[in-house]
Order: sequence, then structure tokens, then C-alpha cells
Amino acid sequence: MKKLLLAALLLGGCTTVHVAPYERGYLARPDMAFDAGLGTGRAMEKIHPSKEAASGGASVGGGGCGCN
Amino acid sequence: MRALLVACVLASGGAWAIEAGAPLPALGAPALEDPARTVSLASTKGEVVYVDFWASWCGPCRQSMPLLESMQKKYGPRGFHVIGVNKDVSPADAQRFLRQVPVGFTLVHDGGNKLAQAFDVKAMPSGYLADRHGVVRYVHRGFTSASEAALEREVAALLDEAP
Repeated sequence: MKKLLLAALLLGGCTTVHVAPYERGYLARPDMAFDAGLGTGRAMEKIHPSKEAASGGASVGGGGCGCN
Repeated sequence: MRALLVACVLASGGAWAIEAGAPLPALGAPALEDPARTVSLASTKGEVVYVDFWASWCGPCRQSMPLLESMQKKYGPRGFHVIGVNKDVSPADAQRFLRQVPVGFTLVHDGGNKLAQAFDVKAMPSGYLADRHGVVRYVHRGFTSASEAALEREVAALLDEAP
């Protein structure tokens, strides 16, 4: 019980960690973006269902050939 | 128990944000070009000061920096002083930005977040316009074309005030 309390107390510190607006230098780097904005996200969305042989996987009609 | 509560409140709250009516904190920071030289905010008393927090990664700063430069040139002789506080992780990033957007006003580097924490900066860029008595009169968070016109009007009004 005591250990649990201690863990709760210590982990509580994790909830207050936040990045201030002036500390976003690293986050603002282009390579930190989920999608680099070069259409890579859309390309992945097109290729992924065909690789997985999932027909219309990303709400696109077709047989999973990746050609439409 | 009460001491613990007080400690928690103090630790979580941090600094109070600087708003209009608060005095400029009497702090200093190393100059961007020459880190051995400290620029103090208190040394600008008697002048209308605009403390601007900026960074090379901040989009609107690309718009605000040339405007601040032209205002410094226009109102500088009447006692207007811009201090640009750089928030880049590395001063080299700031230098690269300044090669594209050259400015002539005072620049300091706030690597340890001392100034940003004292002002409790809530947005980038953030600007604090203080009158000749060192009292913050206007706070600009973010930068749009609307802030451009407002800032020019405010600076002119503060310069017209009797010292």
C-alpha cells in the first residue's frame, strides 16, 4: 500500500509536464511532423490497403491492386 | 500539511503572467551577438520599450521582425527601443534567420528561459510594450496585420506622453 502511494505520488509529477509555447523549437522542426506535407501521408494511405490486400481499405473502391 | 499545500500551489503556479499595468522585470540576458555582454531591461528606463519574444521557427515572426525594424528606425530617435528576445535552442538558428531577415535593434538570447518564465510567455511571438516609467502598457500575443496597426498607434501615443 505504501509503495502504491509512493508510486502514485511520483507518477503524479508526469501529469504536470508540459511544453511552453517558447520551448517548441524542436517540435517545430519539419522532421518532427507526422506528415512532412509532401503527400507522403496520402501515398501511404493508397499503398497500405493494397499491401495488406484489404479491398477498399481506406474507403477507396477497387480490388486492392493499388492501381486506382 | 499546510506547508505541503502551499508548496504544491507555488510549484504548480510558477510565475504570474505579465499583463498591462505590471512593471517590466528588472532582468538581463546575454546579447545574441556577444554573449559576454549582458543587456538589462532596467537600463532602458526613460524610453518606450518593446520586448519581443521571437524564434526562427516561429512563422509570424517572419512578418513581425521587419515591421519592428522599421518602427525602430522611425521612432528610435524619439526614444523607442526594441529588444528582441530570441527563443531558439541554438543561437546559430537565430543567425541563419537574421541573414534572411536582418534587423538592427538590440537582440538577446534567452537560452535558460529566465526571461520567458518571468514574463510567462503564452504565445509566440509575444510583445510587451512598456512606457517611459518601465510599466507594461500593452501586451501583444501572436502577430497579425491587425497588431501591426495597433502597435504603431500605441508606440506613437506612448512617445507623446509626458515623461
